[in-house]
Amino acid sequence: MKKTGFAFVLYILMIISPIRNFIESIMIAHMLIQLPLLIFVGWLIGHFIVEKFHSLFNSWNINGVPGMIIVVFITMYWMIPRTLDEALTIGFMEVFKFTSLPVAGVILFDSWRRIGDLGKSFIFLNYLSMFGLMAWLYIDSPIQICNNYLTGQQRILGWGFLIITLAMALYTIQSVFTDHSEENVL
Amino acid sequence: MRENWRNTVAVFISIILGSVLIYIGTDGFRAFTAEAARTYKLVQEQPEFPSVTLEDSKERVYPFSEFEGKYVLLTFIYTACTDICPKLEMNLAEVYNQIPNKYIGDDIQFLSISFDPTRDDPATLKKYSSHFDSDEETWRMARVVDTTELNELLRKFGVIVIPDGSGGFSHNSAFYLVDKNGKLLDVMDYTKIDEATDEILNVLETEG
Repeated sequence: MKKTGFAFVLYILMIISPIRNFIESIMIAHMLIQLPLLIFVGWLIGHFIVEKFHSLFNSWNINGVPGMIIVVFITMYWMIPRTLDEALTIGFMEVFKFTSLPVAGVILFDSWRRIGDLGKSFIFLNYLSMFGLMAWLYIDSPIQICNNYLTGQQRILGWGFLIITLAMALYTIQSVFTDHSEENVL
Repeated sequence: MRENWRNTVAVFISIILGSVLIYIGTDGFRAFTAEAARTYKLVQEQPEFPSVTLEDSKERVYPFSEFEGKYVLLTFIYTACTDICPKLEMNLAEVYNQIPNKYIGDDIQFLSISFDPTRDDPATLKKYSSHFDSDEETWRMARVVDTTELNELLRKFGVIVIPDGSGGFSHNSAFYLVDKNGKLLDVMDYTKIDEATDEILNVLETEG
C-alpha cells in the first residue's frame, strides 16, 4: 500500500507542468529520467494491480513471455527519436507516454518474476545491445535527430546511453564471476 | 494445458500488437525521426506556398506568385549561420550548376529565403549571394519582412527554427521543390545533390 501511495505521488509530481516542462527541456532527462521513472511508477503499483487482476495475469502471462514482449515493444517505441519529439508537440502522444509506460511497468513487474533466469539474461543482453546502439546513434550522428533538441544535447544523451551500456556490461562480467565463485563454494 | 494455450496466443497477440505500434508510429517503418515524418507528411499533403511578400538582395519587393509558371527550388536560411546553411547553399549552388542552362530562369527559379529578417537586410543578402556566385536573378536570396507571413510560411512548410541563445538558430534543412502553381512537390535531402538534380531534371523533362 505504501508503495502504491509513493507511486501515486511520484506520478502526480511528474505530471505537474513546471516539473514536466523542465524535465522535457533537457533531452537526457526526458529520455533517461522521465521515461524510466514512468516505468518505475508502473512497477511500484504492479503488486496492487497484479493482485487485482490475478486470474488475467495467471492465465495469459504464465511464463512471462507475452508480457515481456509487450514491454520490449513499448520501450523500443519510446526509444525511436521521433516519439520523443512527438510527445512534445502532440498532446495525445504525451498522454500516451504517461499511460503506456506505467502500463509497461506493471507488466514488467508481473513478467520479470515469471520469465526465469534464461529469459532474464536474454532481456538484459537485448537491452544492453539496444542501449549500445542508441549510444552510437546519438553520439555519432552528424545531423540533428530530434527537431526539438539541439545536437549538443543529443550527444550528451548518447554519452548517457554509453555509460549505462558500460555499467550493464560491467555488471554482466561481474555476475558471471560471482556466479562461478558461488558454485565453487557450494 | 488449456492455460498454456492461452499463453501461446498471448505471445502472438503481443508480437502483433507491438509490431502494429511500431508500424503506425513510424508511418510503416518509413519515418523514424520527426524530421522524416514531417517530410513524409508534407509530400503527402502538398501544401500551397502561402501568399508572402519577399524582399530580395536587389531590394525588389514582390509576392511569391511572381514565380508562377515556374518550378521553384528553395531553401530556408539565415546568413549569420555558420554550420548548416553554408553547406546547404553550397549544395544548392551545386544543383544550380548541374541543371542545364536552357531550364534555368525560364522553367526553374532558385530561391533562398531568410527567416532572420531583422539581420538579413538586402545589403547582407547581397553579400551572401556573392559568396555562392548567385546571379541574384535566376537564383535569388530574399527575406520575408512580415513576421506573420514568415511564421505562416515556416509553419506550412514545417520548418522548425529554434533560437540557440547566442544569436544563432538551429533549424532543419532541405531542398523544397515547389511546382508551377505554388504547390509543394517534394522535400529533398540537401546532402544528396545528384539525387536532387536527377529528380528536378526528371520533373522538368516530363513537363517538356
